[in-house]
Amino acid sequence: MTGRLRLDGLTKRYGGFDLGPIDLTVEDEVLTVLGPSGCGKTTLLSLVAGIVAADAGTVSLDGRALDGRPPEDRRVGLVFQDGALFPHLTARENVAYAAADDARVDALAATLEIHDLLDRRPPALSGGERQRVALARTLAADPDALLLDEPLSSLDAPIRRRLRDELHDLFRTLDVPVLYVTHDQRSATVLGDRIAVLRDGAVEQVGPPEAVLDRPESEFVARFTGCENVFEGTVTDGGVRVGDATLPVTTTRPAGTTPTVCVRPSRVRLELTDADGPLCGTVRRRLNEGDDYRVVVVIDGLELVARVRPSTGRVLAPGDTVRASLDDVHLL
Amino acid sequence: MTTTHPARRRLRRLDWLTVALALGGLLLLYYLAPLVSLFLSAPPGAVAASLTEPTVVSAATTSILAAALSTLVGTAFGLPLAYWLARADTRWTDAVLAAVVLPLVLPPTVGGVVLLTVVGPNTLLGDVAAAAGLPLTRSLAGVVLAQTFVASPFVVVTAKAAFEGVDRTLEHASRSLGKGRLTTARRVTLPLAGPGILAGVTLAFARAMGEFGATMMLAYYPRTMPVQIWVSFVSLGLDAAYPVAIVLVVVSVLALTVLDTVASNPWR
Repeated sequence: MTGRLRLDGLTKRYGGFDLGPIDLTVEDEVLTVLGPSGCGKTTLLSLVAGIVAADAGTVSLDGRALDGRPPEDRRVGLVFQDGALFPHLTARENVAYAAADDARVDALAATLEIHDLLDRRPPALSGGERQRVALARTLAADPDALLLDEPLSSLDAPIRRRLRDELHDLFRTLDVPVLYVTHDQRSATVLGDRIAVLRDGAVEQVGPPEAVLDRPESEFVARFTGCENVFEGTVTDGGVRVGDATLPVTTTRPAGTTPTVCVRPSRVRLELTDADGPLCGTVRRRLNEGDDYRVVVVIDGLELVARVRPSTGRVLAPGDTVRASLDDVHLL
Repeated sequence: MTTTHPARRRLRRLDWLTVALALGGLLLLYYLAPLVSLFLSAPPGAVAASLTEPTVVSAATTSILAAALSTLVGTAFGLPLAYWLARADTRWTDAVLAAVVLPLVLPPTVGGVVLLTVVGPNTLLGDVAAAAGLPLTRSLAGVVLAQTFVASPFVVVTAKAAFEGVDRTLEHASRSLGKGRLTTARRVTLPLAGPGILAGVTLAFARAMGEFGATMMLAYYPRTMPVQIWVSFVSLGLDAAYPVAIVLVVVSVLALTVLDTVASNPWR
């Protein structure tokens, strides 16, 4: 694959912070860049959009080198975190700013359901409405690539979810590469055809959401994508020993090697038991997270976090004795 | 239960904000009383009559024309400098800003002196310009040069603050939408900085209208209104200075009105 949008060895040094070298390719797909704040996500987009000049490396779009070109010559659309709408213009004037004609404005207004907002100025719009208008404004310029900088991060949960679902559908109708940066794992998995995890200015892992979540290649990726159970273990004949507990894992690794063990809380099942045995322990804490419970169980001194659906039966409580079973154990 | 002495209770209830205003009120009175006194001293009829006197008409014409020209020059060159100061990422901006502010703190007569060393008679520039038929002293050009020196910094410093108030992200957004620097400045930056720029232009115009010190050094003729006030005062007495002074007070009030309505008053 050549990559419609190609980043090769892209590097930027800011004071004490180094970004890159970044190598990424984006086809007609959504690549979400997931990472904590301060990892260089926004800088990465600024480099691709031409707002910030790279120290080294190249960016190309459909085989066209973008290096050295000003932002206005790149045909790269950028949606900013807070929308960055022009406050002195109405929503319609914002969308029309770079649109070829009125028909394009109306078509985008229909797609993004902002027809009723077009006469308002940005201060009179809610956060979600602002992002819809900002998206319409960017698409109106018919960019060859679309970049989005955490457009959902400042929205309330219900609006964020709704807009996220709509973005999911919208992105599939666009035939341009989309680079979407976020610190939110859920946005990254919902929207991304592939995820690139960024850490301290470097790409740590790239892959489809399932691969990144289920088979993280580093402890950082595991933890950042929601794997709370990360332990140092030792391979034995019966599985992998972690502290005094032995996890039943089949592995081809020779006994004595010391892999890092990752178990996602959603892959831990708990059932009440009276018996003592392997992977039996005591519930230490139960936290109601709304749709499910986060349950912390202590098994032979090992703290294991499980995500448990509230069932119709009795809800686990601190002090209960439970048996854990692990649906999926990943070794690093 | 303890009882408080009535006087102490009253003291405790004393609003210190009111005390502050009472003290400051004296200063306020000192600002306003002379202005009221000026208007009372000059009978409206006499002022109206003297407004048509040739010397007054000539001074007003010179002042307004020169102030308009110097404001225009100051804006044409000051806005780009203000934009550069607001957007450049270099340590030179502090030094450049200091040079811009210098004419503001320099006594105007000293400003006149330094200008004369460049454009005065017997200087290269002064001789060349005079030979070309555009004398830079004792001329309208001289008035404009003097006014531009002292008034244009108002455009630069006020517009710089206005440009800095425009979120750079908006400029980035405009450019990523395919608009170049010039279009971005015209359609995004200038409209958003507009009220601040207008404030700078207004302040510069008001300062130019009132310019006296440097103007006296460079161009005693043609007389501007401040020079006319001084000439009337020393040759005919204070009464003769009233009409032009009142005209200038009105100009100042108009400038203040502009600042508080369409422009954004930098001191508010």
